[in-house]
Amino acid sequence: MKRFLHSPVAVALCAALLFLPLKDLKSAALLFVFILAGLYAAPRIRRIKIPPLPFKLPRTEGPLQILAVAVFALLPLAVKDYYMDVLIMFGIYAILALGLNVIVGFTGQLNLGFAAFYAIGAYTYALLNTRLGLGFWPSLPIAACFASLSGLVLGVPALRLKGDYLAIVTLGFGEIVRIVLNNWDAFTKGPNGIAGIAPPSMAGISLGKLQHYYYLVFLMLIAAVFVIRRVESSKTGRAWLAIKENEIAASTMGIDTTAYKLYAFAFGTFWAGIAGTLFAGKMQFVSPESFTFMESVLILSMVILGGIGNVYGAILGAFILVIMPELLRDAQLYRMLVLGICLVALMIFRPQGLIGAKDASAGR
Amino acid sequence: MLRLSGLHTSYGPVKALKGIDIEVREGEIVCLIGSNGAGKSTALMTISGVLKPDRGEIEFEGQRIEGAAPDKIVGLGISQVPEGRRIFPRLSVLENLELGAFTNNAGYGKKLDHIFSLFPVLKERSKQPGGTLSGGEQQMLAIGRALMAAPKMLLLDEPSLGLAPIMVSKIFKTIKEINNEGGTVLLVEQNARAALRLANRAYVLESGTVKLHGTGEDLLHNEEVRKAYLGE
Repeated sequence: MKRFLHSPVAVALCAALLFLPLKDLKSAALLFVFILAGLYAAPRIRRIKIPPLPFKLPRTEGPLQILAVAVFALLPLAVKDYYMDVLIMFGIYAILALGLNVIVGFTGQLNLGFAAFYAIGAYTYALLNTRLGLGFWPSLPIAACFASLSGLVLGVPALRLKGDYLAIVTLGFGEIVRIVLNNWDAFTKGPNGIAGIAPPSMAGISLGKLQHYYYLVFLMLIAAVFVIRRVESSKTGRAWLAIKENEIAASTMGIDTTAYKLYAFAFGTFWAGIAGTLFAGKMQFVSPESFTFMESVLILSMVILGGIGNVYGAILGAFILVIMPELLRDAQLYRMLVLGICLVALMIFRPQGLIGAKDASAGR
Repeated sequence: MLRLSGLHTSYGPVKALKGIDIEVREGEIVCLIGSNGAGKSTALMTISGVLKPDRGEIEFEGQRIEGAAPDKIVGLGISQVPEGRRIFPRLSVLENLELGAFTNNAGYGKKLDHIFSLFPVLKERSKQPGGTLSGGEQQMLAIGRALMAAPKMLLLDEPSLGLAPIMVSKIFKTIKEINNEGGTVLLVEQNARAALRLANRAYVLESGTVKLHGTGEDLLHNEEVRKAYLGE
């Protein structure tokens, strides 16, 4: 009996039975087959050697960057509105992933509440616009700075903690922000959300049209890449890297670790504020529903999937995780399942992410 | 140059230093020896600002530095080579050295050449990740990294720890070399014999107090030291 309980068949059966009340018999049977196959395959799969990337990334980024910019600049001429919409969301998530990558990827500080800063950016613009009639352009820096400031406010107490403890505090902060937005009816209109946010305009022309908005998001993404790359290769970027590698060694190098960790928090959340404003401007509606814990996990998954500590990795991760659910629309319910399987597979085969910064296996 | 007076440091309720007085003059190699738990590393970490003292004074070049943040102390010219080396394993040897110059990158190229002449093996491996070096090479890298800050004083915490004897003598020779070029060194060591031969002066610590002090030569011939630390 005991042997049976530990067999893959029993495990798969249990999982399938637990799943049964949620869906019909057919999907439970399907799940049973999948888990059983997975459990049998897992020990064998690990032994398969995965070859390195089949192509070599060019040494200089120039040509790739120009190609990518050209492709994305020309896309609106070719694609339908539906894809435009998806690509705008990709741009917003890419900015978010870039921001989180500064904190998690460059500095090595786990943050599970990043959606809070995204929410703060979005609500700042929504409130400034609907209550004070402030336009998109003046609101953008205010929202970004406000998100950045809240990053600092969280950072001061939270950064005394490390690892798991920091993760829990940031997770808690994310929930606090969402719950406050949900319950402070008088100010944020609670779960009903804020509607009627004006889209941005430029020189008197509204940018509400999808194609125009696409270019706006696209330019912001380029700006984010440019600025973050510059900071990454500056002295500040080096200090972040040293803190990620070994905090004690970093402080014996004369790096003020507390200050640099705070910079990373403030700088990363700044981009969350930008992304939030862009999101509010696009949807013309915000509600707490858009900023749940799952959103934080999704952004973190983008960073991990693409490659921790790599700017282009974060963008690639955002691309995959925004586009993939659209392609899998029919299998909407299994989205998180597929995502989980993908991440587990990634941890086994490429722990540094698809295009990771440094080979994680090189000594410890 | 550096003077500790009446220094007390504790880890919570455990008193690790119970009022020690130590002096390091410019151009000296001073060595702290003692058994495990005597407070040697605690003394170094209190100097470098990683630990805060309960009481007592640390004076460096006439300036009180006790309780200052580690990065400020590095800025004043005291670099520490931490115990267990703590190099950045995934960064290349060159990147490790670059980070050493974080607070002070004046004359970067010259300092780098100097370190490569002290440790030619680091030049050969400058593009390799630090984690792939051998223990001895990592120790060299840790010393080289500390020297990149062009410190006035170098604090070394057990540089011989876990190294092959031939590496130990190579590291000690380099410490002497650094000293000959005018560097002041405060060294903590378990390897008492080699350390006392090298040191101008030495202090013997025992459960948080200074038990003996004198020139390296004197202590090497001291009856008590020979019994307790040299195994004779």
